[in-house]
Order: sequence, then structure tokens, then C-alpha cells
Amino acid sequence: MLYTNEQLADMVKPDKVHRAVYVDPGIFDLEMERIYGRVWVYVGHESQIPQTGDYVTSRIGRQDVILVRAADGKPHVLYNRCPHKGAQIVPPGDGHVDRHFRCPYHAWTFRLHGPMLSAPLRAGYEGTAFDPADEAFWLRRVARVASYRGFVFASLSEGGDDLVDFLGGAKAAIDNLCDRSPVGEVEVAGGVFRVWQNSNWKIFYENLHDTMHAAVTHESSVVAARDEYEASMAGQDMPFVLHIMAGNGEPYQFWEKLAVHAFDHGHGYMEGIFDPGGTDRDPTSRAHHESLAAAVGEARAREILGMNLHNTIIYGSGSPHTVFQQFRVIRPVAVDRTMVEIITFRLKGAPEAVFERAVTYANTINSPSSNVMPDDVELYTRVQKGNRLDGGDWVSMHRYCGTDRDIPGGKVAVNGTSELPIRNQFAAWKALMTEGGTGCGEAA
Amino acid sequence: MNGIGAVEMDEAIRLKHRVEQFLFLEARLLDANAWDEWLRLFTPTGMYWVPRMRGQQDARTQVSLFHEDALLRSVRARRLANHRNWSQQPPTHGARTIGNVSVTDPGPGTIVVRSSFQMLEWRADNPRAFGGSYTHTLREDPAAAGSFRIEMKRVDLVNCDAIHENLQVFL
Ligand code: FES
Ligand SMILES: [Fe+2]
Repeated sequence: MLYTNEQLADMVKPDKVHRAVYVDPGIFDLEMERIYGRVWVYVGHESQIPQTGDYVTSRIGRQDVILVRAADGKPHVLYNRCPHKGAQIVPPGDGHVDRHFRCPYHAWTFRLHGPMLSAPLRAGYEGTAFDPADEAFWLRRVARVASYRGFVFASLSEGGDDLVDFLGGAKAAIDNLCDRSPVGEVEVAGGVFRVWQNSNWKIFYENLHDTMHAAVTHESSVVAARDEYEASMAGQDMPFVLHIMAGNGEPYQFWEKLAVHAFDHGHGYMEGIFDPGGTDRDPTSRAHHESLAAAVGEARAREILGMNLHNTIIYGSGSPHTVFQQFRVIRPVAVDRTMVEIITFRLKGAPEAVFERAVTYANTINSPSSNVMPDDVELYTRVQKGNRLDGGDWVSMHRYCGTDRDIPGGKVAVNGTSELPIRNQFAAWKALMTEGGTGCGEAA
Repeated sequence: MNGIGAVEMDEAIRLKHRVEQFLFLEARLLDANAWDEWLRLFTPTGMYWVPRMRGQQDARTQVSLFHEDALLRSVRARRLANHRNWSQQPPTHGARTIGNVSVTDPGPGTIVVRSSFQMLEWRADNPRAFGGSYTHTLREDPAAAGSFRIEMKRVDLVNCDAIHENLQVFL
């Protein structure tokens, strides 16, 4: 169904949102146009394309794109479509091409940043409007590409904030992730998990800072971890793999005290639930600290490793996790289908054990086969199913509504269990969906 | 037959029979969701590994679908048994078929067994099919004459690099 801007605006109240935003395919179509067609979306990391001609496929909303390192040494992002008959130029995945792209259908060739080079039997085009200098015969570039410390984002729209302004407060998470490396750089490593979730993309974003769900949804894994500890190693230090599972089981008072920040454009972060600085007993953390202190000094190392962020949100892209060097990229596929890519990063120059810990964290907490994620995914599916029903039209986001405090570039919650992050996401949603705003506006 | 003598042939057949009986027992336990009994098939240092990459060599620096020692296997079994395991309500049910069993590396006390498997899975009105190969490293079980314990079970899924939905039970 088609909606007027007034109808869309009416779906987002300050303290509740209409269930249609999760289940109506017409709204999904509009989101792909008005949100994913406008914002900066993470497409990949420069370490995936170290050499000229290296490429990796990616996706912005509904658009399949190619991230490629071109002859100018810079990352470029092109639509994966040949201007002749529309064939996809490269198959999904990563690869390398020599100096140019060559379409597998009729062998039109293109320079790595898009311009056309040649087509076979040129005589056949004499006297026609075919012109390799005309951009209509190039691989089309997406409107804007920008890289921030190796993280490449692209936007399908010419207008709007530049990348750094768009990231706003969430930029701190990318900085902190990179700063954790003694040389200030990270690289994609270790392979990627790809997971289907049969639910709307927004549900995943909302869950990232939903502290009220942790102990309830994850009770079975919390109890299993605690029971295992009691049964086989009571009195000893809890091993890392049990510690990170049991973390969800903290009492409500713990979550209430966590700092939750919400930034313009729907972004945000919350304070970490595992204290990385408090693990002086842990040899991996100690070795990491020492390698960083040797490079940047003791005080700066403390500052960097003491910054404890959990599940940062970059709205429209996904969730970087600094302490465990991860980026969960969230790709909407249909109104009730979302693909999540779980990517791990190696901190260049840090002890290898730090990276191995990131792999263990990804396996144990976020993988499709972990003991934790499946319960989240199950609840997302139940939200999706429940919101198709006529059992009520509104979804509540009342917790601590009206108490959010302003900070430069965003808001901060008065309580760690506040639904501020969800209200903040819908403020951005509403601004983008109704008038091409930047998502800074307050939900009215 | 490569000049193999009747006695050696007898030995090989007997070994293959014992190995198959063990693999079939393991499959029956998994089909029955009898996780605790299945856990007891492993040696204390035994590993269960489902690589995420084709031909994956390393589980420390590359992510895996499962890479579980005794502790992690036990935690998974506990979670599956917990009455608030929301994503296992209803539980997963599976039926496994094992074939093409070959003992690839008979050695003293330890053997490596390769087999093919297919598995039909059912949960919450969704059927799924899995398949691939099992590679078992088995040791003679001192406690049960003629049987084995698992030092390593590696499961190479044909679709290890697929976009997966939840994978919760041991394959
Ligand atoms: S479709 Fe690409 S050259 Fe014809
Ligand atoms: Fe969760």
C-alpha cells in the first residue's frame, strides 16, 4: 500500500510505534528507497582489497555493488551491472581482475573505476549513438564513497552529510577499534559467518541495546554456563567461554547502571558488559596492554583499553564491537528476512592471542551455531509473527520516555534499561521516511 | 585384491564392522537427542569440529560453526535440556544416514575413519537437509572391549559456507 508522509509520520509517536513498520512490504519498499537510498552504508574494509584489481561484492539496500581497488589506489564502489544488457559483471564474493573488468556476456571492458574501455567489433557501432566516452556506457559508480580508517562506506545519494558528520558520536567506536592496534590499524581476518533471520531488520537494531531482554531471552545459556562452572570447576577462575555466556545473566540492577548513548542518525553505543581493563589476571589482556603501551605509552594505552563499548550501532550498517574486534553487518533482504554478516578483525601488531580471543567470542556468542544468538533470533521471529496479528496496533517504547537528556550530537539515557536507543532509531527513521531529513529530528 | 591374504582380509572386515557399529550407535544417539550419552563417546580431550571453510586447517584463527571441547559440548547439552531454551521449543529432530565408511589410516590404538552422511532435520514446521563427510579419529575404548572413543569428530558440510539459519544440535 502507498502511504502519505502524514501517514508515515503518524506511525511513530514519541513513546510507541505502529506494528505496520515491521510487517508491511510496502513500508519495506519505501525504506529501501528513503533510508537505504540516502544514508551512508558500510560496504567493506580496505584490507579486503589490498592490491589494484582486488574486489569484493557487497550490497547497499537492494543494490548489489562491487568494492574495488582502482588504479588510483583508492577504493571505488560500482553497481554490479553491465551497461550493455545488464549482466552482473562479477559473481558474488571476492576476487581479482587484471587492470580492467570484462563482462562475461559480450566482452565489453571497463576500467576499474568504471569508464568504458572497449567493445569487440567496434565497426558495428559506427553511425550509432554508442560512445565509450558517454557515462551511459560505463559501469555506474554509486553517488558517494568515503573511507574512514579503512572502513569504506557508500551512499546512493549525492546529497546529505559527509561520512564523518553522519557517523557523529558512533565514530568513536571505529576509532577505538583501530586504536587498540599498536599500529592503529585493523584488517579483516578469520572468515565470515552469514546468518539468515526471518524477521525485520529494525528488530535486530533495537535488540542491540535492549538490556531488558538479556537475562530473560538468554536464561538457558546463562544457566548452562553457571551450572557447568559449578559442576566442573567451582572455585577456579571462570574460563573466558563461560564468562561471556554468563554475562547476560547479570541482575537488573547491573543493567540499570550501564551508560547508554544515542546519537543523531539513529546511532549509539552502550557501556560494555565485560570489563576489559579489569582482567589484569588474564594473560591475553595483559599481553595486549603491554604491546599497546610499548607503542603509545602507558597512559594512552590505559585510556584506549579502558574505553569499554558494547554493540555500537551505526544505523543502516550494523554493529561494530570494539573489545572483541567484530562488525555485525545487517542487510535487509525482505520485510521479514534479514541477512547478518559477522566479520572479525585482527589488530595489526597486537599479540595473536588477542585475535584468537575474537574468533572464540564470535564462535561462542554470535555464530549461527552459538548457544546465545539462536534465542535472540527465535524472539525476533516471534516479534515478526506477533506483529502480523490484529492483537493490537502499537509497539511500546515507553521505558524512561521523557527523561532522555541532551548531549552534543545526541542524547544519554538516565537509566541503562531505557528504551532511548529505540526511540532514537525511530526519530531517524521518521525523519528519513517523511521528508528526506537527516534523522536529527525529535520524534514528534 | 593387491595380494592381501585371507587372514588380513578377515581382520579388515572385522575392523570395518566394529567401526560401522560404532558410527551407527553414535548416529542413533544423535537421532534420539540423547546428548548426555553421546558426550560419553568422547575421550576427555576429544574435540568436535564443524569448519566454516572448505578444507579449513585451523580453528584458532578462523571461525568455525562448531569448535567444541568437553566443556563447550557439555554446556550445549545443558542448554538444550533447559526448559527455557526458547529456540528449541519445539526441539530439533533429525535422522542421520551414514555410508561409504572407510578406515583410512589404521594405526596402533588410533584409527581415522571417513564416512559420508546425510541428515534430515525437522523443527517448527521447517524441514532442512544437511550432508557432507564425517572424519572420526577413534581410539580403542579401554572400558568397553571392542568399542571406541572419539578423539576428534570433524564434520565437513557440503554447505559449510552457506548463509545459515540457526544451527543448534550436534550434527
Ligand atoms: S551484457 Fe555485458 S557485454 Fe553484453
Ligand atoms: Fe540477546
